[in-house]
Amino acid sequence: MFNKPKDAIYTSISRRRFLELGGGVASALGTGAIAVGLNSVMMRTPVQAASSPEAKMKQYAGSKLVFMSENTPPSFAIRDKIKDFYDATGITVEILTDDLPVVAQKVGIDMKSGKADFPLVYSQDKPIGAPFADYFADLSKFIKDDTLPQDPEGYGADVWFENFLDACGYMYTRDKLMAFPYDAAVALTFYRQDLFEKYSKDFEKEYKYRMEFTPKTTWKNVLDYTTFFKKLKQAGQDVPYGYAQHHGTFAWTTQLDIQRMMYAHGQWNDFKIDDRLGSQKPGPTNWGDAQSVEIMKRFKELADVSHPDNLANDTLQLNTVYQSGQIAMQVQYHEFAASVEDEQKSKAAGGKTAYAPCPLGEASWIKNGGKAVNGTNCGIGGISINKNASEDIQRAAFIFATHAVSKKVQYSVLTGLGGTPTRKSVLAEPDVVAARKRPSKMPNALTFEAVYDYGIKDPHFVLGPKIPENNEYFKIIHAETQKCVAGKQSPEEACKAIKKQTDNANDI
Amino acid sequence: MTQDKTSAPDGVVRYVDGAKVLDYLPHAFNVKPSSRYYFWLMAPALIVLAAISIYPFFWLIWMSLHNVGSSAGETFAGLKNFEKLLTDDKFWNGWILLFQYSGFCMFFEIGIGVLLAVILNGNRFENVLVTIFLMPMMMAPAIAGLVWYYLFNSTFGWYHWLLQSLGILGETSIIGSTDTAMAGLIIVDIWQWTPLITLITLAGMKRVPRDQLEANMVDGASAFRNFVSITLPNIFPFLLIGIMLRFMDNFRFIDVILALTGGGPADSTNVLPVYLFDVSFRYFKLGRGAAIALTLLIVTIILGKLLVRVFEGPASKRTDMGS
Repeated sequence: MFNKPKDAIYTSISRRRFLELGGGVASALGTGAIAVGLNSVMMRTPVQAASSPEAKMKQYAGSKLVFMSENTPPSFAIRDKIKDFYDATGITVEILTDDLPVVAQKVGIDMKSGKADFPLVYSQDKPIGAPFADYFADLSKFIKDDTLPQDPEGYGADVWFENFLDACGYMYTRDKLMAFPYDAAVALTFYRQDLFEKYSKDFEKEYKYRMEFTPKTTWKNVLDYTTFFKKLKQAGQDVPYGYAQHHGTFAWTTQLDIQRMMYAHGQWNDFKIDDRLGSQKPGPTNWGDAQSVEIMKRFKELADVSHPDNLANDTLQLNTVYQSGQIAMQVQYHEFAASVEDEQKSKAAGGKTAYAPCPLGEASWIKNGGKAVNGTNCGIGGISINKNASEDIQRAAFIFATHAVSKKVQYSVLTGLGGTPTRKSVLAEPDVVAARKRPSKMPNALTFEAVYDYGIKDPHFVLGPKIPENNEYFKIIHAETQKCVAGKQSPEEACKAIKKQTDNANDI
Repeated sequence: MTQDKTSAPDGVVRYVDGAKVLDYLPHAFNVKPSSRYYFWLMAPALIVLAAISIYPFFWLIWMSLHNVGSSAGETFAGLKNFEKLLTDDKFWNGWILLFQYSGFCMFFEIGIGVLLAVILNGNRFENVLVTIFLMPMMMAPAIAGLVWYYLFNSTFGWYHWLLQSLGILGETSIIGSTDTAMAGLIIVDIWQWTPLITLITLAGMKRVPRDQLEANMVDGASAFRNFVSITLPNIFPFLLIGIMLRFMDNFRFIDVILALTGGGPADSTNVLPVYLFDVSFRYFKLGRGAAIALTLLIVTIILGKLLVRVFEGPASKRTDMGS
């Protein structure tokens, strides 16, 4: 190939051989680049217990981690300010975000196949934490490790809001702590105060009580309000519909939607298990009993007078419907307040929306002898570490996990894109206390009274079932409830179908 | 011009109009390669095929005979995964919906596709129009699903607004009702894949013998008669390719369905491949998912063979007539 002197003593390389070698090197480099690009990289400088805090923070400088998370504000905000973490630790963290079902699929495949492409995982309690509990590392061992930097507030149950650590941190046993509470989505009522005030007198004439929203407002009242708005609409008035439910393609939020109504009436629960720990063998479900049939009937009644496109709206779409002024009420998660209060995008902004706890159970609808409560449920997103990762990657991941749930970061997220704190200390900050009243610099703080001061307290808070078959269970409820709402089957048939399929899924 | 051929040691001797022409063939070309030679030629392709197809196939069979779930560890289940399918209403409902979905899609796509091909064939704007019609096909199905999700949306969807303004739809979106959601999916499939049938049919129509068409017209046949008697039998082999492609696509593609309805509302669009996806990658019951996948594979193969047989008849008859 190349010019070779006649008296050369070295062996020449043929063109074919040159191309073969070049191809081989290029392939190896390409494969290596892909492997390095997609996976975590580890660099370590050993430290000891007596090392300085800075040395402990920097012990994995030069490493790279990947965090697979849901596309919610905390992850966006942490990604925006990831340089702070890099400056403090020298660790690069790539934060990937997607819809929760996609996150569940990706991390599920990763962990089930014994890999750790995602050493850091957003483990929302029920859709990810409960099914994949076996694959998460025990964080307790890192908490006790004095060669790792630790949060000054600690990680005990008392530093988080009530039950949050139980919700995402413990699955089926207290022997393993598998997540720190990272973000929270707690349900409450968003309602159009301006419309309530405008039509209150008309409503009172017909229903003989005031149209208002307080912690005493029941699901029966919500049904009345919704019926009233529909009548106005049918009479040709320019008003929104009263209400809409969570359906669409998000199965787990349909389950939450009917669960809070069920729990409000006699604290009905899906299974006879302790929700704080969950169970791998939950036994027969309570669906099909008189209480569940009664509430399914009421759920359908409410659907019948709700927005006509009720079945198409998943949780995100429902919020868009509310923002666009098409409904006067929604039970929604408190992380959505920031978007509702955005005057550029929301017709419900500018003081038109008020916030209240989830509706109270209606005494006359209770069949199981229990009490009426403001059934409030949640999705508590944890941050977990993939057990398949090497010990060093797990340790580096722990440094990021503690950063992501620190008071400083949670406060920063709340003031930025609108976070949902899980640490109690964040709410004590003077700025946050001031933001609870309008005009607020932190719109999510407007919901804190209904959520943190009331909804998550006993006896109103329901964690929901933590079982390995959660995702199938949610889909069963989603499909059968929708069939009932669409008039394809009666409430009794829907409850029986849920029971049959759920027990089958749990090998009963 | 006369030709005569004789063989010579180094090639073939031809005589063209009396002149001797020697076509030289290297010796190696005359040696019949051994079967081992062909085996080594095929080996790289076989290795790749084994890695991406045969190994996963046997792995699928293995999984279908085991309990493989979201938690760690697998246990032998025998035929339990298949037995469960017998009493699984969603499995059977998935089959019914799949046949409905696939049947309607193919019926409309073949009908409209062939009609468009007839209109476009020989049209002075054929090239421009074909390019325009092909555009939907170039879109990734997942993107097409998202685009149509926004078009159908009752809050901000342009198509919904249009259809509502025309009084065709009420306030419920087409994908928000159990009665119309399937129609919404079929509309999207027709929009995206009819151009494929048009393209394939157009290719077939270019091969229809003009002499047959002209002879038929001389005999007084109308254009319609000409199409039925001459064009249609000639394009059968091409249509077979189109139908086979679309049939297998409908049994595989779930991108649009997942983006638009996710199988809902109320399972009204929960066709079997979507249910298979749910079982495998949402519930992580990989053993049961493998059992469903195997049944889907077997039925697809059987139906594919049947389709070939149905269409082979007229196609081969036409070939016989031609010869």
